[in-house]
Amino acid sequence: MGSLMRNLLIVFFWLALLSGCVSSRIEQSRDAATGIMSNEAIVLLGRASYNEKQAEEGFTECIADILSQGDNPIRLIDQKQFRDDLYPWFEPRTAPTSADELGKLFNQPGVQDRISSVNVRYLAWIDGDTITIDSGGSMSCTISTFGGGCFGMSYWEEDASYEAAIWDLKEMTSTGQISADANGTSYIAGLIIPIPILARPGNAACKGLAKQLREFIVGET
Amino acid sequence: MLQFRALLGQSLLVTGMLLSLQSCTTSVVVEGTLPTPLVSIIPARMGVYYSDKFRYFKHEEVIRDSGGWSIDLGKQNLNFFQNLTKSLFVGVQEVGQPPLTSEEMQGLDGVFIPKIEKYGFLTPSISGLKFYSASIEYRVAMYDKAGTKIGDWNIVGYGKSEGGMFSSDDAINEATVLAIRDGGARIAIELIDQPAVQAWLQSIGEPSQPSAAPLASAERNKSPETIESAESLKSAESLKSAKGVESIEIPESVDGVPDA
Repeated sequence: MGSLMRNLLIVFFWLALLSGCVSSRIEQSRDAATGIMSNEAIVLLGRASYNEKQAEEGFTECIADILSQGDNPIRLIDQKQFRDDLYPWFEPRTAPTSADELGKLFNQPGVQDRISSVNVRYLAWIDGDTITIDSGGSMSCTISTFGGGCFGMSYWEEDASYEAAIWDLKEMTSTGQISADANGTSYIAGLIIPIPILARPGNAACKGLAKQLREFIVGET
Repeated sequence: MLQFRALLGQSLLVTGMLLSLQSCTTSVVVEGTLPTPLVSIIPARMGVYYSDKFRYFKHEEVIRDSGGWSIDLGKQNLNFFQNLTKSLFVGVQEVGQPPLTSEEMQGLDGVFIPKIEKYGFLTPSISGLKFYSASIEYRVAMYDKAGTKIGDWNIVGYGKSEGGMFSSDDAINEATVLAIRDGGARIAIELIDQPAVQAWLQSIGEPSQPSAAPLASAERNKSPETIESAESLKSAESLKSAKGVESIEIPESVDGVPDA
């Protein structure tokens, strides 16, 4: 019994080491100097589109969680609240698609005042998604009166590709873009019980993008 | 043998439960926030008529593989439009079904009548996409003080929402709320820019500045279901027939064109 437990622990140890094999790449291009005061805030908005590609709400929330925590937290405005406060100017079909349109938008009645009242300095548009680019293998599970089990192995490769376009609402300019790409393959091995070895490229892209976004906004003045 | 019978009995029970679940109806009472639009106010005092169909709009549909759906969007839609019209016009007063008498029109410059022409939704099992989506086709009509139609416009609102395996009702709720918002945004921004509305405002001595909104982006971001004019609808159809294109999106509706 003791040796079985030890063997199981060894298996789980190796599985823990094997899990989450993800490669990621972060790139940044800066158009203007940035900096943020402690009373200023940023808002993250998921760019909506009418095709299948759209940043998941969970991805934007993941970045918001990371930015609002840590040693150097940034004040964030909730995206739903922001869209409500500035309705109808940040809806999927009415939102400005480039920073050049900010001037016209700020001429709309109440828009400038509403943004100033919550002191939003930067707006970051989050775009992209995670897709499965390859999958294969086979696994079958059987259950009968004598017991059951799974045998075989299947895998799927996911690619997470996201971009943040950052606009300075005070200067009404685009300050730059950050892109995050992450790729990873997940496996499920059926050895009586199915053992998942999951890679999370979406999570890796979120962490990478959030870290770079913080440095981008706070780092250079 | 006894064990086999017990197992068979349990299997039948589970199958029965699954079948009864399959035939269930998912009821959704649409709820969401009611944002107040930040738009140029149309300088007119309007009577607004909401028909009972508009007030209590409910969509019922049975979909193979996902059972029945009952989507009650009347209350949210009504509250949304009450909020929208209050922000859109200088003054608003709910009125009865037109035609209205001159006494009933006293203090009003015209009448605004929104209708829901169509509501539809798609689940991931139907669309093959990972989103739930909803669309609402509104028809809004405006009449002047004498009861002459200023114009009417079809506006399609579209919304989509991610949905989990066990939260299809929440996803349909969110997609519907977004569709109402989308339709409302088009009305709030574009109604004032319609030539018929501008001409009517001139006629009542209340000229108004067009919105000067960044509508270029609104044009670019239109959903595939909507286009602006009957001409472009015809050209899309002719493109399909002329070039043998199989998968072109033929818009179901035409918006932005006054009938009057």
